[in-house]
Amino acid sequence: MTEVKHVNLFQRLFPSVISGILLGVIGAVAAAWLVAIWAPENYDAQVAAGYTAWALFFFIGIGAFNGVARWGIARRDATPTEELYLAGKDQGLWRYFRYTTDHKVVGMQYLATVLVMFFLGSMGAFMIRLEQSQPGAIFLNPSTYNTIVGMHGILMIAATIVMISGPFGNFVLPIMIGARDMAFPRLNALSYWLLFAAIPIFFSTLAFGGFPTGWTGYAPLAVQELTPGMDAYCFTIILFAISTTVAALNIVTTVLVFRARGMTWGRLPIFVWGVLFSVVLGLTAFPSFLMSQVMVVMDRVFQTSFFVASFGGSNWLYEHMFWFMGHPEVYVIALPAMAVAAEVTSVFARKPVFGYRMTIGSLAGISVLSVLVWGHHLYTSGSTAALNGPYMLDTELISIPTGVFFLGIIGTLWRGKIWMTVPLLFVAGMLVNFVVGGVTGIYLADLPTDEILHGGMFVTAHFHFTLVGSMVFGFFAGFYYWFPKMLGRRLNPALGRFHFWLFEIGFLGTFLALFYAGLQGEPRWSANVAPAYAVPNLIASLFAILIAASVFILVYNVVITLLRGERAIANEWGARTLEWMVPTPVPLENFEHLPEVKGLPYDYSPSSPNTDAIPVMVPATPHDYQPPESLKNDGGGGTIQETPLEN
Amino acid sequence: MSDEHIERNTDGIRPVRQEPRHLRRAVIIWALLSIIGIVAVIFLAPMVLPVAADDVDATANGTLVFFTVLAVPVALFVFVFLGYSVRVFRVKEQPTDGGTPLQPTPALQIGWLGVTGLLCLFLVIWGLFASYQQTVAAPSNTLVIQVTGQQWLWNFNYPQYSASTQGQTIELPVNRPVVFEVSSKDVLHGFSIRALGIRVDANPGQITSTTIVTPSRIGHYDVACVELCGLYHSYMWSAVDVVSGSAFNSWIVSQGGHL
Repeated sequence: MTEVKHVNLFQRLFPSVISGILLGVIGAVAAAWLVAIWAPENYDAQVAAGYTAWALFFFIGIGAFNGVARWGIARRDATPTEELYLAGKDQGLWRYFRYTTDHKVVGMQYLATVLVMFFLGSMGAFMIRLEQSQPGAIFLNPSTYNTIVGMHGILMIAATIVMISGPFGNFVLPIMIGARDMAFPRLNALSYWLLFAAIPIFFSTLAFGGFPTGWTGYAPLAVQELTPGMDAYCFTIILFAISTTVAALNIVTTVLVFRARGMTWGRLPIFVWGVLFSVVLGLTAFPSFLMSQVMVVMDRVFQTSFFVASFGGSNWLYEHMFWFMGHPEVYVIALPAMAVAAEVTSVFARKPVFGYRMTIGSLAGISVLSVLVWGHHLYTSGSTAALNGPYMLDTELISIPTGVFFLGIIGTLWRGKIWMTVPLLFVAGMLVNFVVGGVTGIYLADLPTDEILHGGMFVTAHFHFTLVGSMVFGFFAGFYYWFPKMLGRRLNPALGRFHFWLFEIGFLGTFLALFYAGLQGEPRWSANVAPAYAVPNLIASLFAILIAASVFILVYNVVITLLRGERAIANEWGARTLEWMVPTPVPLENFEHLPEVKGLPYDYSPSSPNTDAIPVMVPATPHDYQPPESLKNDGGGGTIQETPLEN
Repeated sequence: MSDEHIERNTDGIRPVRQEPRHLRRAVIIWALLSIIGIVAVIFLAPMVLPVAADDVDATANGTLVFFTVLAVPVALFVFVFLGYSVRVFRVKEQPTDGGTPLQPTPALQIGWLGVTGLLCLFLVIWGLFASYQQTVAAPSNTLVIQVTGQQWLWNFNYPQYSASTQGQTIELPVNRPVVFEVSSKDVLHGFSIRALGIRVDANPGQITSTTIVTPSRIGHYDVACVELCGLYHSYMWSAVDVVSGSAFNSWIVSQGGHL
């Protein structure tokens, strides 16, 4: 057993998020002030300098460079004691506020952040619905309205991009493949804290006049806008893109090299495949988004003119760079949610996934095809007429692997022993909404119908059906499914069902009404609803009350569960994947004995002996905690010595 | 298409079928609901869709209805099999044993890919054909209207009459082809007239011509901006009045035009 590093109170508090924020704010103010001396008129330059300094000094303050500095100055690696201290050993709740490398801590940080972002984003959505409930501008002035629409969009898009790969991809995925931690624990902490650092930048837009562009940030409007609120948008995206890239590389490497003995590619749980495809797709997509925002910042600060037509730039350049990220990105969101659905369905139908290879193939097909579909956002832009045909073909080809995915889920449910828990309920809701979202996607992908629907409320309703109705429902399936493992408590199932039904009914009512408004020709992004569309908008707003209620039910359920929920058992649902084989709460190193995997984790047949289903554990170091009760009788037979994996 | 679905599925799942004929029941429910759904779509669609003022919009509305008719059995397939499974195969407590382990047969997989692939290709060909139909040569009497977006209104110019409109409502003569040449002075705008099936971006520094349309129905229609263009995007509304030829002539003179 390794010694734990002893620290006094001061060392406990610093470095932590407190010192990070302190140093970051001081650095930001100093940098902005220095630039103000040199360029007093250029507010964009001052703000940009402030944001850059914030990011840099925040990471110095939180201790992100300590490892680098130790290696660079003292010429040594961290000792095991220091590594354990970095991983948050024996630090209680405080480890969640430090630059902690343990993948479970990072997963929990992501989960809390995603939930807060969802909450704030949904509050924005309710303000939008309030504004659109009656014709004319009633509650918000146009500037506030545009900013709220944009903030709602970015909060929700950012939250949905990380909602599964962040919390579950970090907490569950390494355990699922039988690893002790992620491949790059410090990069893991970096990816979370980059996301965290982007949030104050994002909300600072409110102090700098907001931004008028919506979540798409289209140039030249983004370049033209005179208030520095737009810079907040750009810097948020830049930090977020770096964060997802770091996280993606980490997850890819972890899955490539940290799989347990016997965890071949053909035995990898579908959830792992889904996250893997998603992050690889994100690696191709996000750099162009990052670059587009760097170019917007340059246009704003240094008066370059990438996007200004009167100086030789082009708005089409921005649109292509944006959508080259923007369309793969929805599949970055979709793939892990679909994989969660497959995983959850198999557990609660007590059946193997119907066509394991087939379902993985469908996810792979989607991720390959989706790289080249972005042009369908530009059908009406006047820029890509010659390629409209290929874009349309590729977009509609995606419906084939998506159909295969549906076959897999329906086949898994068929003749199963269906245990209708809250996670499965959310999967069922997801399937219903995803069908509607997918079918309406065909209308928008096809040239003649897109010509009357583009830029309208129909588009809004369509992507809410796919992103919220399908993927966020998939997230909630995962949330209710893994909550007992991650937090060690049982969420109240009755409140969970109530949450589901309020959400589903409210959701269907809201967005079916908006489909109708879109068919009539209502434009998007309109604070001033024309009288012709008043009725469907009012209906949508009334149904949105149900969604709002469901949000508060969820909050109540989570709070009450954390305060006095029942303790969950190690294998709450009787599932067969590895994360359910370790004790709850999960020990720091996950496994005392690294497992050896003998087959797919989907065999629920009573005839198959349990020893096959539950993986054999082989001894490995370190032995700093007791083996789980559930495993004492089964595994432990092997004697192969496993090299300890670095934490 | 629907028949193939049935056959393929039966092929795939037959080897493991036991007691009640769940598959047959589900397929019958699906087929019945599909027929009801398709009939409902055909009868309800005209009530839901807005009136079209020209052929382009009418074609687009027709495509919407047609796609919905195709979508009904596809969506119902998922709904029925999902609903049937959840109702019939449900257990009350945490199950102790597993369900029937099913795996898809190659025939089912190939059949499923074949059906969805054909459906998908059909939609692509339909879309290409429909958009190709719109590219017609300009007749000699085509009315040209230059549309320039700016924050936050539309400027309309009739070069053939040397007229620029003063207000935000323009007039079009009925049954005369018209083409809009759309551009922008500042940022991206989106020029759309739902009733004419026109929707094209107004790009700064570029002129984009719309499809040539022939308004065939006298009436008052909205012009909306469909790209977020800044502060007063929500207020960037204009209108077109499709009027008789003589009424148009007197209107264009009133706008300072020369016949």
